[in-house]
Amino acid sequence: MSSELIVFLILAAVGVLSGILMITRPNPVNSALFLILNFMALAGLYITLHAQFVAIIQILVYAGAIMVLVLFVIMLLNLEDEEPLREQMSKRHYGSLLVALLALVLIVQVIGWNSGGTLETMREQSPHALRIGTVEHIGSVLFTEHVYPFELTSILLLAAIVGAIVMAKKRFP
Amino acid sequence: MIEIIFESIPSFWPEITLSLTFVISMIVEFIVGGKGKKSTGMTTGLIVLLGFTVTILQMPFQDLEPRLLFGTMITLDPFAAFFKYLIVAAGIIVIVFSMQSHEVRRQETVGEFFCFIAAMTFGMFLMAGASNLLMIYLSIELVSLSSYILAGFSKKLKRSGEAALKYVLFGGAASGVMLYGMSLLYGLTGALDIYSIQSTLAAGMVVDVHDWSFVVLMLSIIMILVGFGYKISAVPFHFWTPDVYEGAPVSVTAYLSVASKAAGFAVMVRFFYVAFFDSVLDLGKWGSLPLVDWNMIIALLSVLTMTLGNVVAIWQDNLKRMLAYSSIAHAGYIMMGLVVMSDLGLTAMLAYFVIYFFMNLGAFYIVMSVADRIGSEHIDDYRGLGKRAPVIGVGFSIFLVSLTGLPPLAGFIGKWMLFSAVIEAHYIWLAVIGVLNSAISLYYYARVFRNMYLREPLNGDESPITFSPLVIVITILFIIPNIIFGVYFGPLISYAQRSVELFLQ
Repeated sequence: MSSELIVFLILAAVGVLSGILMITRPNPVNSALFLILNFMALAGLYITLHAQFVAIIQILVYAGAIMVLVLFVIMLLNLEDEEPLREQMSKRHYGSLLVALLALVLIVQVIGWNSGGTLETMREQSPHALRIGTVEHIGSVLFTEHVYPFELTSILLLAAIVGAIVMAKKRFP
Repeated sequence: MIEIIFESIPSFWPEITLSLTFVISMIVEFIVGGKGKKSTGMTTGLIVLLGFTVTILQMPFQDLEPRLLFGTMITLDPFAAFFKYLIVAAGIIVIVFSMQSHEVRRQETVGEFFCFIAAMTFGMFLMAGASNLLMIYLSIELVSLSSYILAGFSKKLKRSGEAALKYVLFGGAASGVMLYGMSLLYGLTGALDIYSIQSTLAAGMVVDVHDWSFVVLMLSIIMILVGFGYKISAVPFHFWTPDVYEGAPVSVTAYLSVASKAAGFAVMVRFFYVAFFDSVLDLGKWGSLPLVDWNMIIALLSVLTMTLGNVVAIWQDNLKRMLAYSSIAHAGYIMMGLVVMSDLGLTAMLAYFVIYFFMNLGAFYIVMSVADRIGSEHIDDYRGLGKRAPVIGVGFSIFLVSLTGLPPLAGFIGKWMLFSAVIEAHYIWLAVIGVLNSAISLYYYARVFRNMYLREPLNGDESPITFSPLVIVITILFIIPNIIFGVYFGPLISYAQRSVELFLQ
């Protein structure tokens, strides 16, 4: 058993457990905290996959900024715990269950079907592929090949920011 | 790489102008706006109008030799240029409408309203040319974001807030599903631009019919179809349409129903035509996708869309809502051209868009002017309108007859071309359903004529309603093309034929 596998197993166990705990906790604040743990475990998995940039962004943006917002909203709303979170199985849920099962089957099949390339074979075959996750590589791709979508994103965000203010502000001076 | 960017810029001036218009109008609004002056919003409106005019004046000087810009991000070809003309012309008209609309001018944030029209137009320009999954997603998202805000612009009206919220929820779900589909497609083919996707699929290396990969491919296409279907409001992704069209200011509704729908069709045609058609084999068949009869699936969607739109429209008493269902039905008619995907079908689609542009914008303009004047969009308030305001009554009748598709008006030519394209491809049952649907639509349009001409006004008020000369002039300007294209449609069709030239690799 390689050390890589052990790290993976620990991170995966933490990820799955925190995911399950997140959807079963009656208190929304607890759920949010477990979601942070889940993000951390995922970030660890990304590092083992040589995607350092994505891992850092995962921590900075999701576990940091977005979760602070989520916690703020939960605390501002002052939710009464327990009551709304317990639901009965209704007919509608069977549909959701079916879709979830279908997605599970697909995920399993896609993983099994791609099993030809493990990390070791990837390392041997193309040492270049290991650099894909680095900040340098992402930066150079972002500013050469994908420079136009990158610029368009800034316009999109500008429109979104101004739009949010227009919608949210009650009275203009 | 930098050379490619520099080479692309000269072909990209209209888009650059539009993005500058958006940014400059926002800065101007920031500097001069917000001091409680009524005129400030109009200044921004005029700047956006100027930007659009400059854009449309630049476009005839563009070299339309089909080519790719910024690597594979954007395609420039006559097909894209056709839709860009349509979009920017609709943008100019909608700004002129909005400047008159009381509903828009009452708002404190009129200036931002025009900024978002500019942003939306820019997004739709990119949609017309997008040939990379990333660009397709980003441009659809830019258009959607701007239209969410525009739909909820009358903040004091409850129905406007409802419209914006429903639009955001539906749009978010649809674009999420579409993004998932795109990620599956990217995972399968390893390519983001639709040309590489086409060549990878045509090589037959990645997808095996006896394998799960085929299921994944089908699933990804269906998921991407959800995103496009939402944009063109095809059944069963139409649920947002009536509420949004009713709640949004009328000028925004007009823009959504014409330009946004056209851009949605443009991106959908380009995606499916380029990525999944085997251009070597038989055009009009989905070559890269064996086993499933996609023509039939699109045909069924088209039938569902037009039938549902027309049947539900019968019960609508609010004219905006009725026109919303009618526009769903028209999306169904236009999808008939997509069923065939031959040059004939695409020509019919493009010609229909031009005609739809004039008749639908005209109809919405009348609804807007009347609502500004008498403060109602209810069908009962249109009683006796034909006598009280003759030009408006005649104009509205012409637009509605044209929407029905009766000769000698333009709408007939559009429907006739679509039906003949479908019959040419041996989908006779589809044409029959289309004709039956036109008959249904006559019923609810005729309810409006009946109210306008044959029934007495609600409270016996027969005094004439006066409209400003500008309203009369604009109405007449919309009537003219509806009549001209009904009898003299040669140039229109030949222009549409010339525009069916997509860049293929």
